[in-house]
Amino acid sequence: MIESQRHSYHLVDPSPWPISGSLGALATTVGGVMYMHSFQGGKRLLSLGLIFLIYTMFVWWRDVLRESTLEGHHTKVVQLGPRYGSIPFIVSEVMFLFALFRASSHSSLAPTVEIGGIWPPKGIWVLDPWEIPFLNTPILPSSGAAVTWAHHAILAGKEKRAVYALVATVSLALVSTGFQGMEYYQAPFTISDSIYGSTFSLATGFHGFHVIIGTLFLIICGIRQYLGHLTKEHHVGFEAAAWYWHFVDVVWLFPFVSIYWWGGI
Amino acid sequence: MASAIVRSGLRTALRGSGGGGLRAVAPKRSFSSSSSAHEEAREAAKWEKITYLGIATCTGLAVYHLSSGHPHFEDPPAYPYLHIRNKEFPWGPDGLFEVKHH
Repeated sequence: MIESQRHSYHLVDPSPWPISGSLGALATTVGGVMYMHSFQGGKRLLSLGLIFLIYTMFVWWRDVLRESTLEGHHTKVVQLGPRYGSIPFIVSEVMFLFALFRASSHSSLAPTVEIGGIWPPKGIWVLDPWEIPFLNTPILPSSGAAVTWAHHAILAGKEKRAVYALVATVSLALVSTGFQGMEYYQAPFTISDSIYGSTFSLATGFHGFHVIIGTLFLIICGIRQYLGHLTKEHHVGFEAAAWYWHFVDVVWLFPFVSIYWWGGI
Repeated sequence: MASAIVRSGLRTALRGSGGGGLRAVAPKRSFSSSSSAHEEAREAAKWEKITYLGIATCTGLAVYHLSSGHPHFEDPPAYPYLHIRNKEFPWGPDGLFEVKHH
């Protein structure tokens, strides 16, 4: 902290990243719509927008890491900000995924006559829930156990063990994503096969997307742990990643029970 | 948030009256856990064992499933609600995760 500062709050410097992120998001949205409707230049605008967004994410978080880790601006009271911010963020994510599971229940509880009045719809061969989906069920909670191991290792000051624990967490996460990808390729239906395929792919696809986000978050934490950024007293980034990861692994149980198991009977 | 600010202010004031500056006393951790390093190490060891148990279970299940092979499905009749195509994808006629017909 700067010596002349007489309070423990972080007054941030002006930054170009909010506006560059907004422009990137705008270009991505417009470019995405143009691309999906086969407009000329859609692909180019979409790629440009994504590059802009990814660049913004990189430099913005780089700045936050510099402010917190190297400049010491993240005092105890400043750390409350991201901690309190993470909770409503995760709650909003739970509500988002709940809406997708509800879409599946809505269609399956009273199947319409257009799909044969039955669920799964006539002509849809569903996946056996006791094969790959059941295999993913212990993988995600095991990686949840590994992230808890990492947390206690950080609190105990065992830095190397925490890196090993994060490697275990990320490895299990990647195995889970790999199996999910394999399942998508082997599935006898796709997103365009009836309301079953649409709700199934939307719910499991968004869950998988969240697994990938959580994996990236944990990889960054692992690298920061390796570099010695995370200490016993100061590891808010890791805690947010761990909360996010528990959200992802607990939420998996809902599509497993309601979509794969109950929805496939 | 408000109570946190009041608490933080109080703490600063108390530290100030003790003769120290803002950073004179290292504030005690008041996060999710305030237990000792020894206790944390024990917890870490416990969760390490649980992780290994989880990995062993997953490996066993994976070997079992991957060695048992996967079922093959015949093509369903061309119901109007299956294989919906309103227009071509930007990348061509085939979907991302389906058997290629072209």
